[in-house]
Amino acid sequence: MGKIIAIHSYKGGTGKTLLSVNLSTLYANRGKRVALLDLDFRAPSLQAILKVHNSDYWINDYLNGVCDVKKTLIDLSETHAKRGRFLVGLANPSTEAIREMTAKDRKWEMKALGRLLSLKTSLLSEASLDYVVFDTSPGLQYSSINAIVSADVVLVVSGTDISDIKGTQRMIDELYELFEKKTGLIMNKVLFDVLESKTQRADLAKKLLNSNNLPMIEMIPCFCDILRTGGVSIFVNDSPEHPFVKTLDRMATTIENL
Amino acid sequence: MEVMIEISKHGQHVSQDGIPDVLDVMTLLSLPDHLRKTAVTLCKLDHATAEQVAEQTKRARAVESGYLNQLVLMGYVKKERRGRKAYFYIEREENPDEMKEPWEKS
Repeated sequence: MGKIIAIHSYKGGTGKTLLSVNLSTLYANRGKRVALLDLDFRAPSLQAILKVHNSDYWINDYLNGVCDVKKTLIDLSETHAKRGRFLVGLANPSTEAIREMTAKDRKWEMKALGRLLSLKTSLLSEASLDYVVFDTSPGLQYSSINAIVSADVVLVVSGTDISDIKGTQRMIDELYELFEKKTGLIMNKVLFDVLESKTQRADLAKKLLNSNNLPMIEMIPCFCDILRTGGVSIFVNDSPEHPFVKTLDRMATTIENL
Repeated sequence: MEVMIEISKHGQHVSQDGIPDVLDVMTLLSLPDHLRKTAVTLCKLDHATAEQVAEQTKRARAVESGYLNQLVLMGYVKKERRGRKAYFYIEREENPDEMKEPWEKS
């Protein structure tokens, strides 16, 4: 059976969406059947990155009980993957939909949790997908905690900022561990000179890991090339020889074996 | 984190004995570890006997039965009997009474 991977972080801007899109594409290029779902209902962004301008049904509709999850999935295999399948489920980016999602009550959130949990049956068992990747909203919000509870593996992305590190540590102790989740850490946007120095690199990893035994899956350097593209490039497809893609490739293999 | 749970509880429906009856993620976080494990497993299984929950949690059936009944008493979980078996589930459907005006309620 396949895996549901939730990509989460304490703060926004850590690179969750960039990693979600590229990791999903990379798995599809390896011949896997992948669905990437945008669960960041407060700031949907996959439609802009993947240049999909409309959808008959959104993930919002699935969580509202309006449609089956399969109706929300758009097949981008031909344009975005060299092999395998690449499906995407979008969050509705309209202001009205965002406002509506932020006003949901606890009973709705409980039902949404049930619907996310049932994806294991509908997408992994019935549709035989290898990976379902959740791009979540940052921090401790209903939608992100629902995603974490429904996932098999949680990848936590942190920057090097002390507030991010401390917040991530709190989430490890008070969220992922309480739900007994398989968790892997990714440190993103690390300065090159820090990565080149063995001691500085070890110190930074130690700072984030604290006393936890979680695996540090990767420390990804800060690449100016990524910033320069302004989010319009899927590096895995557009620059397969870029060191960022090499790092991702290593990361994808580690996650497969988690 | 605790503050977040407290904020989320503000305004929620509370049963007569002061215990919230919605098993959402914030409630799951506030449960003691042993009950959380049972509750999360039941959320995944949707409808299950104590034996089916025990298969997943790798704990004894009698232990799970005790925890599930505790969750029933707390108002988070429902229980129904089918023949000799007791099934536990989380009620997710709307209570039609809640949609009605007070004078229309049965």
